[in-house]
Amino acid sequence: MAFWPRKSKQNETRVCDPDAKPFAVFENVGLEIAERSVLTGLTLRLTEDRIGVIGLNGSGKSTFVRLLNGLRTPSSGELSLFGVPATLAEPELPRHVGFVFQNPDHQAIFPTVEEEIAFGLTQLGSDKDESRSRARAFLATHGCEALADRPISELSEGQKQLICILAVLVMEPRLLVLDEPMTSLDALATSRIRSMLMSLPQKIVLVSHDLSHFEGFDRIFWLEEGRLRMDGPPHEVLAAYRADLDIKLNNKLELVAL
Amino acid sequence: MIAMQIPGDTWAHRLPAGLKLVAVAVASILLFQVSSFWTLLPCLAAVISLYASLGRQGLAQLKLLRGLSVLLACLLALHWLSGTLLEGFAIILRLIIMILAANFVSVTTRMDDMMAAVQPLFRPLEWLGISSRKPALGVTLVLRFTPYMLQVFSMLQEAYRARTGSSGSWRLLAPFAIQSLRMSDHVAEALKARGGSDGLTR
Amino acid sequence: MADRSLVHVAFYAALIAALGLLPPVAIPFLSGVPITAQTLGVMLAGVMLGPVRGALAVLLFLFIVALGAPLLAGGRGGLGVFFSPSVGFLVGWPVGAFVAGWIMRATGRLNVLTSSAIAAAIGGIVVVYAFGIPGLAYKAGLSLAEAAVGSAVFIPGDLLKVAVTALVAETISRGLPAAFLSRT
Repeated sequence: MAFWPRKSKQNETRVCDPDAKPFAVFENVGLEIAERSVLTGLTLRLTEDRIGVIGLNGSGKSTFVRLLNGLRTPSSGELSLFGVPATLAEPELPRHVGFVFQNPDHQAIFPTVEEEIAFGLTQLGSDKDESRSRARAFLATHGCEALADRPISELSEGQKQLICILAVLVMEPRLLVLDEPMTSLDALATSRIRSMLMSLPQKIVLVSHDLSHFEGFDRIFWLEEGRLRMDGPPHEVLAAYRADLDIKLNNKLELVAL
Repeated sequence: MIAMQIPGDTWAHRLPAGLKLVAVAVASILLFQVSSFWTLLPCLAAVISLYASLGRQGLAQLKLLRGLSVLLACLLALHWLSGTLLEGFAIILRLIIMILAANFVSVTTRMDDMMAAVQPLFRPLEWLGISSRKPALGVTLVLRFTPYMLQVFSMLQEAYRARTGSSGSWRLLAPFAIQSLRMSDHVAEALKARGGSDGLTR
Repeated sequence: MADRSLVHVAFYAALIAALGLLPPVAIPFLSGVPITAQTLGVMLAGVMLGPVRGALAVLLFLFIVALGAPLLAGGRGGLGVFFSPSVGFLVGWPVGAFVAGWIMRATGRLNVLTSSAIAAAIGGIVVVYAFGIPGLAYKAGLSLAEAAVGSAVFIPGDLLKVAVTALVAETISRGLPAAFLSRT
């Protein structure tokens, strides 16, 4: 394994169509990690603006959303993103798909808020000074200019996650994928971040364990043991999921099964 | 967090970092030619007056020599044993002058200015098809990982103490490495999700 | 996966830094001996990452020290340390990590414990001293023999670090085999 990658061809032509409808098409997609099957037989067309993903721990939710930005590639079936096969789209995906992780401490790379936001802009080719001033302006439009010079490590959990979301949004993606972004936040921070997310023009795919987060969503996927158990509008899928949870809870509680 | 720089904005802070680096390089070459005790003494006075010009905080930096004193004393003792005491004095004087001069640049230059000053040296990497941003990004990652790792270690120590009553010692090193390595995988994933270390301008 | 490599290199550079900053109580049996835990990080970088990335991790660490971060044990840092009489040891570090990583790969048929002990001892002690002693002799105007005698006090501590390196490497190879990159 070479340490430094060779730069691929200069002037690579863009292949993705950011406005493609549907933006993702799954044809019998399966994924194995270390010979263990994590996702099986997914066939889906993603077009909606607000899509939720639910399921128990280990159901494949995180792996599923990682397929959307190229962090994982299918081991079988066909996946196309933004109108082209995923393997072709991969180099362009970070500019079209913003990804927010569960733990902001794992995402924020830079010591201060301004540098963290500016990183996305330098990634897109701005020089250092320009990125910094645009980062400041961007923070101001979101009412966060007061945070610009603060060290990220000193922010509250809610502020940290907000900065991680803004750091991704500054790259102006078409799709925002969030993998349990509210897990470590208190109720107030959760509600603020949720309403901010709902006001965004971006399409959103949200993984969450808190079913109340899906209010106003268009479509929910329920994953179970790597398969699509149910797919439909929130009121139907969430009701079925709750009923299934109740049955599981009433069965004899076996800690081992957690 | 972790810094050795004197905060403030003195004449020495305002000099361009590149100029200061060149000055240290020239000084080390010139000093290499000097072996006379009587030429070295005024040089020492000059370098100490550099620190003095920064005021009290500057002079406080000379405590650096205290850390070196044991090592320097040992070296002097070795010279004394082999009967080259005078020569030893001159050599140690020259070491002290050079260390103080180089340290002066470090305490008056912010790390990002220093990085910007040496950034052009990485330009040749581009010829090999390697992004010259990589070293700078590597520096950022190290400065971000280090305090996090100390935090992980103290958390492990607490958990160990809670269960055993004794502090963890080297036994914690392997779990510590495993936990921090997991974190580094998350960071690698997050970096890739935002376009990776080469950026998206290709 | 170049980004993962960059992050791993940065990770071991940070480990070397963290080992220099850990309070000495963390390694009680080593306190009192005039040593730093940092060469432990150098040995681990070579043993865990393999020759190229291991050496790059050490170089990245030294680069950050040169930029002005006080990350060497005892809070030393900046350009001054590269003019100190012990600079030869610092120069030996990346070479030592390279050799340790190379030995790790060359002895791939031995078990991890033995292989990493050999790698750490040769890379982390023999190679590092092969640079450190002449460096000390040159910088301090001593003979090689005198410099060698002066450096010998550190050897007992370094042998302990070889043992710790081997134990840690062996544990990681069982607990998180994916992180064991020197043999892939």
